[in-house]
Amino acid sequence: MKKWLMLFVVALFVLVLSACTATKDAGEKKETNTGNEGEEKETAVETETEKILKLNNGNEPTSFDPSVGFDAVSWNALNNLMEGLVRLSKDHVAEPATAEKIDVTEDGLTYTFTIRDDANWSNGEPVLASDFVYGWLHMLNPETASPAAFLAYFIDGAEAYNSGEGAAEDVAIKAVEEKVFEVKLNAPTEAFLNIITNPSFFPVNEKVATENATWYTEADTFVGNGPFKLTAWEHDVSFTFAKNENYWDADTVKLDKVEWAMVDDSNTEYQMYETEELDVSGVPAELADQLLDSPELKNEDQAGLYFYRFNVSQEPFTNKKIRQAFGLAVDQQEIVEFVTKNGEKPAEGFVPYGFVGPDGKEFRETAGKLVGFDAEKAKSLLAEGMKEEGYTELPEVTLTYSTSDTHKKIAEALQSKFKEVLGVDVVLQNVEASVFATEQKEFKYQLSRSSFLFDYADPVNALESFITGSSMNRTTWSDAKFDKLIADIKNETDEAKRWEMLIQADALLMDEMPIFPVHYYNQVTLEKPTISGIVRHPVGYMDLKWADKE
Amino acid sequence: MGKYIVKRFIMMIATILIIATLTFVLMHLIPGSPFEGERTTNPTIQANLEKFYKLDEPLHIQYLSYLKSIVTFDFGPSIKKPNESVNELLARGFPISFELGMATILVALLSGIILGTIAALRHNGLVDYFAMTFAVVGISVPNFVLATLLIQQLAVTWDLLPAATWSSPLHMILPIIALATGPTAIIARLTRSSMLEVLTQDYIKMARAKGLSPVRIIVRHALRNALMPVVTILGTMLAGILTGTFVIERIFAIPGMGKYFVESINNRDYPVIMGTTVFYSAFLVFMLFIVDIVYGLLDPRIKLHRKEGDA
Repeated sequence: MKKWLMLFVVALFVLVLSACTATKDAGEKKETNTGNEGEEKETAVETETEKILKLNNGNEPTSFDPSVGFDAVSWNALNNLMEGLVRLSKDHVAEPATAEKIDVTEDGLTYTFTIRDDANWSNGEPVLASDFVYGWLHMLNPETASPAAFLAYFIDGAEAYNSGEGAAEDVAIKAVEEKVFEVKLNAPTEAFLNIITNPSFFPVNEKVATENATWYTEADTFVGNGPFKLTAWEHDVSFTFAKNENYWDADTVKLDKVEWAMVDDSNTEYQMYETEELDVSGVPAELADQLLDSPELKNEDQAGLYFYRFNVSQEPFTNKKIRQAFGLAVDQQEIVEFVTKNGEKPAEGFVPYGFVGPDGKEFRETAGKLVGFDAEKAKSLLAEGMKEEGYTELPEVTLTYSTSDTHKKIAEALQSKFKEVLGVDVVLQNVEASVFATEQKEFKYQLSRSSFLFDYADPVNALESFITGSSMNRTTWSDAKFDKLIADIKNETDEAKRWEMLIQADALLMDEMPIFPVHYYNQVTLEKPTISGIVRHPVGYMDLKWADKE
Repeated sequence: MGKYIVKRFIMMIATILIIATLTFVLMHLIPGSPFEGERTTNPTIQANLEKFYKLDEPLHIQYLSYLKSIVTFDFGPSIKKPNESVNELLARGFPISFELGMATILVALLSGIILGTIAALRHNGLVDYFAMTFAVVGISVPNFVLATLLIQQLAVTWDLLPAATWSSPLHMILPIIALATGPTAIIARLTRSSMLEVLTQDYIKMARAKGLSPVRIIVRHALRNALMPVVTILGTMLAGILTGTFVIERIFAIPGMGKYFVESINNRDYPVIMGTTVFYSAFLVFMLFIVDIVYGLLDPRIKLHRKEGDA
C-alpha cells in the first residue's frame, strides 16, 4: 500500500508542477466558471454590466495597414477601428461618415468632400484632408504593393502611378483646404461612393505615419478614426477594442469593449460558442443541417457566387451548344438543398441579389431567370452540338477543383448529374489550392471551379471579369460585343441606360455560357440572443457601430 | 566521450544541411507562388515584390543566400506578413509549443511508467487488464479525435474546463491529455512488458533475498533496466509529439509554431517555410542526440564509441 501511495503522490506532484509552469497570461482576464449550476450563465457580474462583445477573428490579421490587408481577417476589425469619407449604412448604402458633405459636378467627374469639424483621430488630433491624400497615395504607391490598388484606377493618374509609370503628384486627389478633399475621376463612375467605403480608402494620420512607419503593427502605436480604438493586441492570440470617445458619432456606439479571439478551427469556434466563451460563431459544415433551424442562426446575403469555368479553347467546350448543354444539366436547387445545405440561394444568372437599380428593383428580378435545370433541353443541345462538331463520341471531360470538402461534394454532385442527364462520364480531379490558382490562370483546365466575391456594390465589378484578356477571365472566351458593352457601361452617365446595358451583359454572358453559375454566397452565423445590431453587408465588412449586447 | 560528441555534432550539422537542401528543392519544385491568388497583382508590382524577396534571382544564388541565412540564423521577413520577421514568429511560437511538448512528454513518461509498472506488478489482475485496454485505445484513437471529444464532453457538456486557447493553467489540461494519451499508452505497454521480464531476473531475486523494501527494488534496480526500451523509442516519440502539436495547436487555438509551419506551405511563404523547417529539424536532431547520451548514461554497458585499444 505504501508504494502505491508514494507512486500516486509523485505522479500528482509532477502533474501539478507541469501545470504550474504556465507563465502565459494573455490579455484575457476571463475567469473560467468551473462550478456550473444550471443552464443560464449570467454575463460576468464583476465587470459592472460593461458591454463586452466576444468575437472570433479566426486568425491573426494579415496587417492593420489599410492598404495591405485586403482580407476579412484584417478588414472586419479595421472597418471598426477606422472610417473613410463614407460608410455603408445599415441598409448597405454609402452615407457620409468622416465627410459630412459631398458635392459632385454635372459630368460626374469631380467629387468634393467636406470633412466634419468633429472628426478626430483616437489620439485627439483632427482628421485632415491631407490625411486622405497621404493614405490614398500610400495605397497607390507601387512600393506598398497594395492588392487593392486596382479599385482606385478610375481616379485620374492612379493607374499610371501604381504601375510605376507616373508620378504621385499626377494622381488627381488634392487637399483643397484643410478640411476639404477633392477627387477627379477619368470617367463617371456610378459606384464611386460605394467603392470608397472599402478599407483601402481609409485615411492615414500623416503625422503619426511619418514619425513611425510601423504605426499599425502594435496596439500602443495604432491610431484610428473609427467607432472603436485598439487597446490591446497579443499577436496570434487576441486583440481588444474599446469605445473611441473621440469618434464623431460616439453616442451611437453602444458597446464598451470588443474582445477578439483567434480560433481557426470551425468546430472549436462552435464549441467555444456553446461554452459562452464566444458570442458569435460560424456554423461548422457537419452541423449545418441541424443548426439551420436554430433561432440563433442568421442567414444574410453575401455578394458573390460559386461557378464553374469552361475552357472555350479546349474541346468539346469550343462549341457553344455543348457548353449550354452542360450548363442546363446542373440542378442548382438540388445542390443547395441537398449538398451544401447552408441556406444559399441557387444561381439564376451571373449577378447575385443585393443590387438595386435606378428603377428600385433588384437586378436579379429585372434580369430574370437566365439559367436553370432543364434536362430535355440539355440533352437536345448536346445532340445538336455533337452533330455540329462531328463527334460520335464526346471527348473526355475532366472537372478540376481545388482541395476542399465542400468543393468535393459539389463536384461529385455535378458528376452524377452529368451522367444522369447527358450520359457523360466526367472525370474528377482535385488540385491543391495554390497550384490550382496558378494552373487555372495558365488555361490548363477544361472545366474548373471558381468563385467571385464582389469588391464593391455594382454589377460591373463581376461582369468586367470576362472582357478579352482579363486575368479574371481564365476561359479564353472573347466576345467583341461583350467588350464593347462593358466599355460603354463604364462611360455611360445615364443611370437607367447603364442599368439596361448591365442587364444585357449578364444575359449575353449567360447565353454564350463560358461559365455556368451554381449558387450565390451567403453569410451564416450564430448569434447569442443577447446580441443585436451587428451589420454584415453583402459587399463589405462587419460593422459593429450599431451593435449592442444586453 | 568527447570525441563522440564532436563526431555526433558534425553529423548533426550535416543532417540539418541535407534537410535544408531537400526542403529548398521541394519548395521550388512545387508550382504556385506566394503572390498568386484569386486576384492578380499588377505585373509591375509583382516584379517589384519578387525583386525584394530575391525570388527573381537564379536558383543557385537563392540557395547560397539561403544557406547564409541559416548560418547567421536570420531568415528575413515573412512574405505574407512583411512586418514580421521569421525570427520574431519563431520567438513567439516556440516557447508555447515547447511548453506544450515538454509538459506532454513529462506527463506521458510519468503516467506511462507508473501505469506500466503497476500493471506489471499486478500482472493478470484487474489493474493489468484495465491498463492494457487503455493502452490499446490510447494508441488507436487519433489525438485530434480525442481532442474534439474531450472539448465536447468536458468543456461543453460538463463545463469543467475551458474549451480552447492557452491563457491559464486550466487551459493546458485538455490539450495535454489529448496529446499525451497516445505516448502514455505506448510507454505503458513497453514498461509493462519490459518490467515483467526484468522482475524475473536473478538480481531482483537477490535483492528480495537481501530483504530490500519492494519500493527500493523497483525504483533503484528494476526500473533502470526496464526503462531501456522506453528511452530507445523516446527519440521517435519526440518526433511524433512534435508533429502532433500541429493538429492539437490548431484545434485548441494554441498560438504555437505549428501554425506557421503548416500555413506557410499553403501560402508558399518561402522564408517562413525555410525558417521553421530548419528550426524544427535542428531541434529534433538535437533532442535525439540528448536521448543517445542519456542512453549511454543509463546503461554503462553501452559504449557509444570505440575506445582506442578495444578489440
